[in-house]
Amino acid sequence: MRTFTTRRFPAVLALSLAALPGGATAGAFPYPVEQDTLKNGLRIVFVPMETPGLAAYYTAVRTGSRNEVEPGHTGFAHFFEHMMFRGTKANPSFDGKMADFGWHNNAYTSDDQTVYTDFGPSARLLDVIALEADRFRNLSYPEAAFRTEALAVLGEYNKSAAAPWLKLEETLVGTAFTRHTYRHTTLGFLEDIRSMPGKYAYSKKFHQRFYRPDNCIVIVAGHFDAPAVRAAIEAHYGRWTGRADQPQIPIEPPQTEERRAAVAWPSPTLPRVLFGYKVPAASDHRTAAALEVIDAYLFGETGTLHKALVLEQQVAEPFQSWSQPRRDPGLWAVLGTAKAPEHLPTIERALDEAIVALKATGIDAPTLGRIQSNRRARLILSLEDPEEVASTLAWRISVTGDVDAIDRFMAALDALTPEAVAEVARTVLVPAGRTIVTLQHAPAAEAGPAPKGPSK
Amino acid sequence: MTRRAAVFACTFFGAVLAGCGAAPVGPGGPSVPSVPSAPASVSVDPVSSPAPAPAPVSVSHLTLPPGRSPAVAIRLAFRSGFADDPPGAAGLTALTAQLIAEGGTVDRPPAALKETLFPWAARIEVFVDADMTVFTTRVHRDDAAALVPVLAEVLTRPRWAPEEFERMRRDAVDEIEKHLRTSDDETLGKEALAHLVFAGHPYGRYVGGAVADLKAMTLSQVRAHASRVFGRARLTIGVSGGWPPGLPEALSAALEALPAGDPVAALLAGGGLAGVRMLIVDKKAPAVALSLGAPVDFDRAHPDFPALMVGVSAFGEHRQFHGRLMQRLREERGLNYGDYAYPEFFRQDGWSTFARLNIPRRRQLFSIWLRPVQAADAVFALRLALHEYDALLRDGLTQEEVTRAARFLEGYTRLFEKDADRRLGLAIDDAFYGTPERLAKLRAALPGLTAETVNAALRKHLPAAEALRIAVVTDDAAAFRAAVLSNAASVKAYASEKPASLLEEDARAARRPFGLAPDEVRIVPVGALF
Repeated sequence: MRTFTTRRFPAVLALSLAALPGGATAGAFPYPVEQDTLKNGLRIVFVPMETPGLAAYYTAVRTGSRNEVEPGHTGFAHFFEHMMFRGTKANPSFDGKMADFGWHNNAYTSDDQTVYTDFGPSARLLDVIALEADRFRNLSYPEAAFRTEALAVLGEYNKSAAAPWLKLEETLVGTAFTRHTYRHTTLGFLEDIRSMPGKYAYSKKFHQRFYRPDNCIVIVAGHFDAPAVRAAIEAHYGRWTGRADQPQIPIEPPQTEERRAAVAWPSPTLPRVLFGYKVPAASDHRTAAALEVIDAYLFGETGTLHKALVLEQQVAEPFQSWSQPRRDPGLWAVLGTAKAPEHLPTIERALDEAIVALKATGIDAPTLGRIQSNRRARLILSLEDPEEVASTLAWRISVTGDVDAIDRFMAALDALTPEAVAEVARTVLVPAGRTIVTLQHAPAAEAGPAPKGPSK
Repeated sequence: MTRRAAVFACTFFGAVLAGCGAAPVGPGGPSVPSVPSAPASVSVDPVSSPAPAPAPVSVSHLTLPPGRSPAVAIRLAFRSGFADDPPGAAGLTALTAQLIAEGGTVDRPPAALKETLFPWAARIEVFVDADMTVFTTRVHRDDAAALVPVLAEVLTRPRWAPEEFERMRRDAVDEIEKHLRTSDDETLGKEALAHLVFAGHPYGRYVGGAVADLKAMTLSQVRAHASRVFGRARLTIGVSGGWPPGLPEALSAALEALPAGDPVAALLAGGGLAGVRMLIVDKKAPAVALSLGAPVDFDRAHPDFPALMVGVSAFGEHRQFHGRLMQRLREERGLNYGDYAYPEFFRQDGWSTFARLNIPRRRQLFSIWLRPVQAADAVFALRLALHEYDALLRDGLTQEEVTRAARFLEGYTRLFEKDADRRLGLAIDDAFYGTPERLAKLRAALPGLTAETVNAALRKHLPAAEALRIAVVTDDAAAFRAAVLSNAASVKAYASEKPASLLEEDARAARRPFGLAPDEVRIVPVGALF
């Protein structure tokens, strides 16, 4: 559920991408995938598609806010993403060049990755490759530009601060994690954002440490001349050198009891309760697939809690959930929005009872089958154009490091049985592994942790 | 790849399309890839209803040639929108549309409807704007034939359940009271601008309605409204993607059960808060949101529109960086997250940067949007934007800026057509405006545009700076009002070194007079809106 933070996307993009289907059974990914690795470690993934005249060119850097281990430097991966648009000696205006090519470009940063997204007419793809390689290898900006861009990042924080979501997310991760870098959002702590203008030298070091070929994956999807593109990538990236730093990410100690926090929100808003369960890393496809099924089974538009609380009792708005796993053990989160404060306990009680029932009796086979069918259809429908394909692959590969992650995930999903789903629920969805954050309108109150205690 | 398609008759939304002719298309046509490099040709063939008495009503069809896409996209576009909300019932069209789309059918309660659609990963969604409401769905081609009767059932046999009506009405009230007024200052600023420019006119309403009106609304009102605005008289059935043989015909037949409905009503002229040029919305806010705009007398069918599109792109293309506003305010000064301008009414399509489709309007709005600025810089940022606008109209764009914007649009507009659903939406909009294959024609025109042509179009059609109305969302409305009325020079300091030329430009912008009289600047508490 962690927020994407981007140079130009709204931070809540997370909601849409997190809802992407997981992948397909072996071979379920509907396009051929070719992969290669340059001698310097840069990985290349090609997905030819019949989309005449259009191609997407994505570069995933396997560095995100997870890598922000130094105190005082939270939010730096995202800030650095902004700096990547500040040009080079050869191409002082990256954006101007892309506009000249008629290409749309953007980027986003999340916990585990930073992804640079280009989409446009195939006819200028080779020019885009040269331009992208130049900025990854030769990025150059003066300190004045660095300081100015830091203000745009603060503007991004301000843009997001009017809605309760950012505060909720900050409180959830700050309560659930005590050591791991997932304890701060991708935007970073506000005090760190405010101090960014003074960290020019650190930014240079950041580029040297993480923007290295062995930490990047280039994904090309759509209509393109594969040999020519392969040759262009070799020509422009081949002499890029260095090895990425691998910082020691603090290991989060096991959570042993439920944690709670409460946020007082100064403006009128619907009361919310955000649940976060500690879950295994994305490499555990079986658990991830089972959690996606549970997500749909409980919270989806046909989910049991949706029917009970949204449609029948009408005490809640539709749930929002984030079941996409992370590179390291992370959070599986669901947000309940109550129609009135007195309904917050109703939502929590209903969730508890539903999970108890799930652990005891599992999920019925026909419902499991419908969910599996839904995810297969959703996969196909979500991969119609080059941008969708590159975007989905960039996310999955950068989290797992595995080009076949989508196929493996869908294979795991299709192999699930009712008992397997129940077993994952019994293992993962335990009170000792969860954090609960509530948010309610309280004009004069301040945010702060609530007493820890059982959920009832 | 362009293919010609059938055009049996050319009436669509009462407009006449040019280029009628060619041959019908159907399944099994030429096997070509599904993303054309030029706009798909369109068949527009109004299908006569089988003479339901007393007066036959034509439904329009808009069927794009079947492609290889595994997805089938369907758009049911009604020329109905919140402009149809009766006085005292703001939000009626949106609530009615939502109740149809999600409230279940006579035979399927809402949960059962979702259960039916779920294995196909299909959703029936509805989007409402001033002059158009579109019901959309996408489904895998293997499931498309099964979806058709369900979709038709949703439209023709709504359940009209009182409990769903109450739930959605309460959601609509909450959306205004506990979201729009409190937690989304960017949207609030834009809606405040619409209110300022169009108050008293249907376009001055918020699509979601008004709290008092929603609370007084009844289910019988909703049902009566549906029979008027969601009938065959206003419907276009759009189909695109990899549709199987017979699907358009089956859908058309299934929708015959819709009521005839009322024809489109004429649109009022006028509107706007009389004598008010700046509206300051007073609310608790972490930063200051700013939207500027004025009605214009052109739309995309105007021969000058390509030049205007290029000119406004060079001034401030939505969420791109080549525009002057973005360069001056964000890139050079770090004032905020983004600064853009729009030659026509704009809503973003989901999380993309593209314009949402099927929000055509009969009157258009030119606007400028400055994303939230820190309070200390807000008056200066507004002045700088106006200073840039002055320069745009006075001095124009350079040939280099025009060339860059034209090149950008030549590529970028191809992305608007990236999938079957978007191509269908574009074709529906082209039919509304009477601009068939608009994007292809735009791209053909781009290389010939010069700075002279573009600047002449900007000067001729864009509102003068003093005609722009300004909406502000801030938590210190009195201070903002005092600052603009005093005309005292703004003070802007930087934490980093700036070139002398930039500081000189700042000095000029900081003294730009607002030229506002006290009674032209109104403060309104947020609770008084909507």
